[in-house]
Amino acid sequence: MSDVNRLPAPFGRLIDRSETVSFDFEGRTISGFKGDTIASALCANDQWMISRSFKYHRPRGVLTMAGQDANTLVQLADEPNCLADKYPAKNGLKVKAQNYFGSFDNDMARVVELVHRFLPVGFYYKTFNEKKQSWSFWEPIVRAMTGLGAIDPKADFHESYYDKQYLFADVAVIGGGPAGLAAAQAAAEAGAEVILIEENVALGGSLGYARFDAEGVRASRQLGDFERVLAGTKGVEIMTGTICSGLFSDNWIPLIKGNRFYKLRAKSIVVATGSIEQPAVFRNNDLPGVIMASAAQRLIRLYGVRPGRKAVILAANDDAYGAALDLIDAGLTVAAIADLRPTVPQTPLVAAVAARGIEILAGHGISEALYSAKTHISGAVLAPVTGEGTLGGGGKSVACDLILMSVGFSPAGQLLHHAGAKFGYCRQSDMFQPVELPAKVHAAGSVNNVYDLGAVIADGKRAGLAAAKDAGLNVASVPAAITEKGNVGRTHPWPIFPHDRGFDFVDFDEDLKYHDLINGIADGYDNVELLKRYSTVGMGPSQGRHSAVTSVRIVSRETGVDIAGMSVTTQRPPYTPEKFGHLAGRVFDPGRRTAMHHRHLELGAQMMPAGVWWRPAYYGGKADRTNAIETEVKAVRENVGLIDVSTLGGLDVRGPDAAEFLNRMYTFSYTKQPIGRSRYVLMTDNAGVITDDGVACRFHDEHFYVTATTSGVDAVYRQMLFWNAQWRLDVDVANVTAALCGVNIAGPKSRQVLQKVCTDIDLSPEGFPYMGVKMGTVAGIPARLMRVGFVGELGYEIHVPAGFGEALWDELMEAGKPEGIRPFGVEAQRVLRLEKGHIIVSQDTDGLTNVWEADMPWALAKTKPFFVGGRSTEIMGKMKLARKLVGFTLKDSGDPCPEECHLVLKGEEIVGRITSAVKSPSVGKVVGLAYVHGDDSAPGTEFTIKVQGGRRITGVVTKYPFYDPENKRQEM
Amino acid sequence: MNAINPTSLKRRSFIYRELVKLGAAFGEVNGAAVALNFGATREAELASARRLALADLSVLPHAGFKGRGTAEWLTAQGLSIGPDSNIAYGQAGGELAARLAPAEIFLLDSLAGSGALMQRLNSAWKWAEAAPRPQQGYPLPRQDSHGWFMLAGEFAPEMFSKMCGVDLRRDRFADGQIAQTSVAKMGAIIIRADRKVKYGRAHAAYHVLADIASAEYLWSCLLDAGEEFGIKPVGLTALRDLEQ
Repeated sequence: MSDVNRLPAPFGRLIDRSETVSFDFEGRTISGFKGDTIASALCANDQWMISRSFKYHRPRGVLTMAGQDANTLVQLADEPNCLADKYPAKNGLKVKAQNYFGSFDNDMARVVELVHRFLPVGFYYKTFNEKKQSWSFWEPIVRAMTGLGAIDPKADFHESYYDKQYLFADVAVIGGGPAGLAAAQAAAEAGAEVILIEENVALGGSLGYARFDAEGVRASRQLGDFERVLAGTKGVEIMTGTICSGLFSDNWIPLIKGNRFYKLRAKSIVVATGSIEQPAVFRNNDLPGVIMASAAQRLIRLYGVRPGRKAVILAANDDAYGAALDLIDAGLTVAAIADLRPTVPQTPLVAAVAARGIEILAGHGISEALYSAKTHISGAVLAPVTGEGTLGGGGKSVACDLILMSVGFSPAGQLLHHAGAKFGYCRQSDMFQPVELPAKVHAAGSVNNVYDLGAVIADGKRAGLAAAKDAGLNVASVPAAITEKGNVGRTHPWPIFPHDRGFDFVDFDEDLKYHDLINGIADGYDNVELLKRYSTVGMGPSQGRHSAVTSVRIVSRETGVDIAGMSVTTQRPPYTPEKFGHLAGRVFDPGRRTAMHHRHLELGAQMMPAGVWWRPAYYGGKADRTNAIETEVKAVRENVGLIDVSTLGGLDVRGPDAAEFLNRMYTFSYTKQPIGRSRYVLMTDNAGVITDDGVACRFHDEHFYVTATTSGVDAVYRQMLFWNAQWRLDVDVANVTAALCGVNIAGPKSRQVLQKVCTDIDLSPEGFPYMGVKMGTVAGIPARLMRVGFVGELGYEIHVPAGFGEALWDELMEAGKPEGIRPFGVEAQRVLRLEKGHIIVSQDTDGLTNVWEADMPWALAKTKPFFVGGRSTEIMGKMKLARKLVGFTLKDSGDPCPEECHLVLKGEEIVGRITSAVKSPSVGKVVGLAYVHGDDSAPGTEFTIKVQGGRRITGVVTKYPFYDPENKRQEM
Repeated sequence: MNAINPTSLKRRSFIYRELVKLGAAFGEVNGAAVALNFGATREAELASARRLALADLSVLPHAGFKGRGTAEWLTAQGLSIGPDSNIAYGQAGGELAARLAPAEIFLLDSLAGSGALMQRLNSAWKWAEAAPRPQQGYPLPRQDSHGWFMLAGEFAPEMFSKMCGVDLRRDRFADGQIAQTSVAKMGAIIIRADRKVKYGRAHAAYHVLADIASAEYLWSCLLDAGEEFGIKPVGLTALRDLEQ
């Protein structure tokens, strides 16, 4: 196969003949030029059939050459459903057709076409709605027979890099055709910063391929003029090869170019997306060789490809005659022009065609495309139009391998729909048009129902100036709307000629024929929206670009509803498919690391997420987890351990009203809290639900350093800011969580170690008692120190500026070497605190837990008048408890340790759950916390736990702390 | 300054390991190691800084004050603070007083890094002996809450647009302007602070201040986003020399 259909220059403005490319299509080597699309290269090589249809597996070829139809969807090695008429031909591509069985040329599934009468519209509803069980049998068969491309998980997959970028502009112009170019120029000349977006690789739109005059020079001259002017105009950024996939509120515009997803915010928008040429309906109008007139012109002018050898043109407008002249110039024979109009206006284009001796059959249509090889047409049957949608009998067969359809247009108004524009039917032009636009959104050119080239340019200029004015630029005056639009006679009101033998397609994507729609309406779906969902018309990959208007015409005629009161079905974003890669972009996952993070890694820690932080779970290999945790627990109980507590929330609350503020925020009382002491804080929300806890350290009568849980501190901070704004107390709240990092050095030898590096603080039990707080230095680093007891041993939390965190860790580990200091992780800490019966908010509490359920009335100040959640807490205190948090052990020491969220039963009723449980290394048995029924909370009461596998074991309510119940060790 | 090892000093940048991997040569500033250069010639680092470069200034002195009376107290201390928020006001010693809110100031030292102003202010701020105390705001530990990077070069605005939704182009975001925004999905403060050369010329530069605990993440995000523009890490020396 060779480049048999390639035309000489100057045809092919997009291809670079100095650089060839070759790729594989269905095992055949296809050669083309740089700038070709897959489809243009295939056509140049006489490969007209590119795919098989969705349902009947009919051969399909190019239709629009504009990426507007599903006919050219092909499968690449690593990507399905690529539009061959948009995808650039590249060396080494492996291209396959989609949706066939056996071989592409002899698709065995073509037999489906023979039984098409048994596959009426609504087939699935009718067949499987009442025989649901049969669907399980047919579903895999139907799914295998239909559909588009496939993702091959075994394919040679290459990870791709996708990312996103923000863009900003005064005016965004979408569409680089004559209207868009004029709009961009006008807006920029008014001083606006403009971004001009064009989905094709080159600017120009119809100026690049269409013919506006008999001589065929006007378009290229006009395009050249635009290019010259824009090159000298400041403020226009041109983005070609860029798809605008939607228009959203506040002029938020998503753009896709290559692997990048742009988020453009413009002050105003001009939509100049043009129009979509519409097909005619006749028998076999779907086969390769039947294409839009504009598609033929694109092949010729953009890619230098001859679209056939002998053509018949179905015309209903002047554009058909421009296309005819292009075919003749490209060396094709135009066998005849069948013009649906009873009288053909004698325009310069028509006169030029007539002067070349082309037969023009006024008042004629095509009743059928003929084919012989089943992969391409071989002729057309022409017949006189006898009425709306009817042709005379007999007809004249004309041999041809190309049928051009030039019967009308429809606005490419998807983006306007997205923005909320209203469309109405224009009786004069027989087209829909935008009749109401959102603020700061303008339409220009043929999307605005303006077709004459001069009028299109004027309309673009008007829209550009209006958009610049919307963007705040000083625009003296905006021209009035165009009145002479040149839109009359462009679109035929009924280019639909159903055939007795069918295959007269309305929707190529879904293989829907004329009578499918008629039958759907007869079934009662007599509204376009209903018919769409019943028949799937317009629901294929091209989203009704070529079927929506025809469907409306058919529904209008069949139901008698005036088309002027109808609209096409709703069009929603995206305009074209977006890849998940585009939506995902680069992964931004800002995890937080403490100053000591790398030290933990160096010590072999297994890291775990804690809120947005990473914390060491334990130190050692995963296989040695249990032993590692037990060893760490033992180190703290018997010797000295060091844990990184930097992730703990920290809030500086300062000001004359600081104590009063805490009084209102937390359940305890802080007014009389001595300086140099810490006090437990428990926060509830307005409903009395426990939301956080920590300690408040008083360093000054106006300064409290309040800790909060790792995952709760941000919410606590927000709550504090919210209430501070309400109460207007003289207090300032600063979230210093990241600024201060901390460690807890704990264990009976912790004082001994700390004394080596902390010489300016009296660490004796008397000088620095339990719950005391002090400021000083540790290893010369300024520090806040707290005597705490979370793990139930003598311990000091040391908080220092984060920049010193790693040095603090190093100094303490070095100082503790003689004592055998050991780092311990979150898992060991959980065990240690559970042995002491200390709760973890959000693990041992949930979104409903109140102070009474958590058995923490000791944390309530009895005399203060108010705290957030106080009233609710008071009310709930008078109610009978449905559940209560208790400590427990197991009745039978041989029973397995329950897991968190294992159920607590009373009889067969679920009354609670296990919140924490562990086989305690220090106590030597299973200890835990659980919610039990409110009546079963007395120590010694037995309750049932449903553990793994549904087994029931017996728990015994046990008073806690389980370890060192007199708290002597932490207070030593 | 003699070459030093970052771990020989107790204050350390959260990303010093990354800087070491990139070949940084360190000097001591503010009791910590700061990357002075990355082994390239002075001209090469300057060229990078003019095109697109990233520097870690996290250990340079920076501080903050917040709360009622902050602006008045700082003004009384001799600082020049204008009335508008989201503007960074230059100080006599080259420092910046970034007004984030009417009663919140973020102070950045000059690239000399002497820390003299911060030390003076931190020494001056004391709890008054007894209530009622004068309203003078409260010091914030900005030195340790925020990592501090500088992104310099003509491609900086375009690079920012890959990770930040604010229009930071030079004709839309003036020198001294502040954006409190999101960068790579995390809160950040961006301050445009061009490096000025004699005769009115200036090189684009932006301070980026963000959560110190995510400094490694943000550093890698910035380098990744700048790759297509040829971003290079540069040291403090190149940034200082930009003004020569």
